[in-house]
Amino acid sequence: MGGNAAVACFYFDFATPEEQSPAAILGSVLRQVVSGIDEVPERIVKAFRDREKVIGGQRLTLDEIVEFIQDMSSSRSTFICIDALDECAAGHRVKLLDSLHQILQMSPSARVFITGRPHIRGEVDTHLAERATTRSITPTNDDILTFLRAKLRDDAMPDAMDERLEEEIIENITETVSEM
Amino acid sequence: MSLHHINDNINSFNSINNVWNNCTVADEKSEILAWLSPLEPRIRHQDIQTRRVEGVGDWLLQTQEYRNWLSGIRGGESDGSALFCYGGPGVGKTYIR
Repeated sequence: MGGNAAVACFYFDFATPEEQSPAAILGSVLRQVVSGIDEVPERIVKAFRDREKVIGGQRLTLDEIVEFIQDMSSSRSTFICIDALDECAAGHRVKLLDSLHQILQMSPSARVFITGRPHIRGEVDTHLAERATTRSITPTNDDILTFLRAKLRDDAMPDAMDERLEEEIIENITETVSEM
Repeated sequence: MSLHHINDNINSFNSINNVWNNCTVADEKSEILAWLSPLEPRIRHQDIQTRRVEGVGDWLLQTQEYRNWLSGIRGGESDGSALFCYGGPGVGKTYIR
């Protein structure tokens, strides 16, 4: 893979749906990929200079963005990570998955990593088709223990805690979680 | 004006010119980046990174699915280029390393 891979991430958030059209999301991805290299590809510079003359500085279309990402990820390992895809509006989601599929189709060195709730699994399978592997995420017992111990260590009132109470908290929470 | 002086002047002109060229290039790059997207996902990324507890969720990196995805090895019916990690609210999907 080499140390020179591009990594771009996008975190969905219910709070800002207007920023989350496929063009906005992949525009953000393209920006991150471009920012990691010294020289902006000539085609992008040209597109920018052409649009600059238009009042309001028109942005790239989704198709153009997809094409630029395809271009750039064909010469360099590119990892696109998208968190909480289920929080993306349904219409946008399908379009986004199709665009990601287009990118993977053209660039063998591109990788897509997505997290989301289980109900969008069918959609991901349909739209990423033969590209997608799915994996269920559940915290292991070790994860829960490590996390709890770290949180208890950060306790703002350490005097109120003794060893027995600490063990009791850990035992209760890990039991409850494993029954979930 | 001595030759020495002229040379000095030329040199300082050249260095100013270099600084100037570098500035315009750098300015245009940041203008292009802002034009590509006004969003700042790095801020959220860094915030999550600092709240992550060391060692939690590392098991994912050892799974066959993840390894295949990373190295682009075909696994089963998938060509392995996309990995979808699903789970209910609060299982830690956002905090995967």
